[in-house]
Amino acid sequence: MRDASRPLPFLAGARGVFDLTLEGMVWSRRSFMMAVLLGLPVVFGLIYRFALVARVPAKLTGFDLYGVIVAVYYVRNVLPLAALFYATSLIADEVDGKTLTYLLTRPLRRESILAGKFAAYVVTTLVLTLPATVITFFLLVTARGFAGTGAAVPDLFRDLGAITLTLVSYGALFTLLGVLLRRPVIPGLLFLFVWELVANLPGYLPRFTLTAWLRSVVRHRPAQEGLSDLFGQVLPLGESLAVLAIVTAGLLALSFWIFARREYVMEQ
Amino acid sequence: MTRSRRVVFVSMVVVAIGVTAALSALFLDPARAAVGPLPAEGLVLPADARFVMGVDVKRLTSSTLYKQQRSMRPDSFRDLEAKTGVNPERDVDTLLVAGGSKDQGLALFVGTFDRPRLARIIETEKKGQVTWKDVQGTTVYLFREGEKGAGAAAFLDDRRVVVGSAAAVEAAVAANAQGGAGLKGNAAITGLLERVKPGSTFWMVGDQTLLANLPKSVPMGGNDSTMTLPALRSLVVSGDLDPVVSVAITGDAADEPGARNLADVVRGLVAILSMQGNQKPELKQLASAVSVTTEASRVQVNARIPYELIEALSPQRAATTQPLTTPPTK
Repeated sequence: MRDASRPLPFLAGARGVFDLTLEGMVWSRRSFMMAVLLGLPVVFGLIYRFALVARVPAKLTGFDLYGVIVAVYYVRNVLPLAALFYATSLIADEVDGKTLTYLLTRPLRRESILAGKFAAYVVTTLVLTLPATVITFFLLVTARGFAGTGAAVPDLFRDLGAITLTLVSYGALFTLLGVLLRRPVIPGLLFLFVWELVANLPGYLPRFTLTAWLRSVVRHRPAQEGLSDLFGQVLPLGESLAVLAIVTAGLLALSFWIFARREYVMEQ
Repeated sequence: MTRSRRVVFVSMVVVAIGVTAALSALFLDPARAAVGPLPAEGLVLPADARFVMGVDVKRLTSSTLYKQQRSMRPDSFRDLEAKTGVNPERDVDTLLVAGGSKDQGLALFVGTFDRPRLARIIETEKKGQVTWKDVQGTTVYLFREGEKGAGAAAFLDDRRVVVGSAAAVEAAVAANAQGGAGLKGNAAITGLLERVKPGSTFWMVGDQTLLANLPKSVPMGGNDSTMTLPALRSLVVSGDLDPVVSVAITGDAADEPGARNLADVVRGLVAILSMQGNQKPELKQLASAVSVTTEASRVQVNARIPYELIEALSPQRAATTQPLTTPPTK
């Protein structure tokens, strides 16, 4: 028989929290909203394929449009936003709902609680994003016929990897904000829509943003206007992957460390 | 199975089906062999090429600039169509050129050609100037065989025509017969091709051996003073014509100081251009359309030139505006 005074092992605890969180996260209003937002490219793909393709100049290919969706819509805008709304709420929602006490009083290590919740966030967002990306790819790339689809496939695989990396790295950052701050959404929005603009500046400053590294992982380079067109940099792929891995691991480690030690006071 | 698990399962099934379909396309589509902007059909280009350039003719001819600048269309196109039925604007999809090494210049036209008609024209109208021979099952036409600068042409299939030096054409025919992996053997060029922006209307890549022939210094004014140019290891150029003329040039210098030095040289030239703006404001606009950045040992020059500016800079426009500036005669 298990010694009830000792907490569950890390993996068993994390799995229990993962199951519980996934059930609440997948079937939630937030997920419905995000499914609409992340699924919009599929709707666009259908409209393009069945209504627009004959009217759009042949020089603008379906693959070009798919590139814009991945590089601009997903990686730069919607995925960071999805990460913000899910990852900041992993702990903040439990604090707001005053339900964190019930989790913390279970025989679970605090690290396993956060690990289970973070895994549930990653799975939920991937479940919403990856099928939409694959469907959009086929709708757009094969709109004018199947010729040349094979040449675009390596980009699809790379994009699926880049999308996963975007969700994990932004997720790690916003999890840290979630365990650190009581109201993490506003600072998160400021980070996304103010600080991340630094990626469009010349010199070394873009290296202090997440988006510059993530943009470099994606191969699509849609035409841009303004600063980003003038100074947009593509950082080396190997360096980008290494930096993202180190930053993500660092942010997650810091989140675990803070969550394991922080005293959460519930408002009455 | 819980509701959420069911959603995860359905999502995984969709992704798995998509990935399977994508893998099937990857292994069944002949275009899989393509390298960057170079289609699989272009892999017959010589393996020892020092530079490769390409033009997406369809994009070029459908661009607003091309339509505006009717003068860009050579008269010889009309003659060619009358004589052979080939209209380059209509029939050629892609033009690829490779060269750099001695007697290895080669142009590959990919498009739709009336092969029997063209073969008949070459064999009858050029009689006396042309001989032909069979190379691995493909007819190679040799023009002025044995003379200096002799050329050759061959149809690799119904969609591809190669034109160039006899040695280069025969090498391309041989590469095509062996599966068409000529250029894939050139790791330096294929590496550079991977860096070309996908979907560019025109592009060019050149390796170290080609750039070694560039001048090492440029004259700076009088007194025989010159400015030493840092050596370039590779060059990647790509550009588009819509909605504005945009060109991106990336040069790899030997090291970071070399790249900064080269960027400074380019910035200096842009500054000189800008100073000329007092006499000709269009030059100032042109200078402001160019940006120069460096990243480690790489120099990136971007230019985005609106059509109006090109029109203002064109000599025709200058000629039409000249009467306005000449003083009235008494």
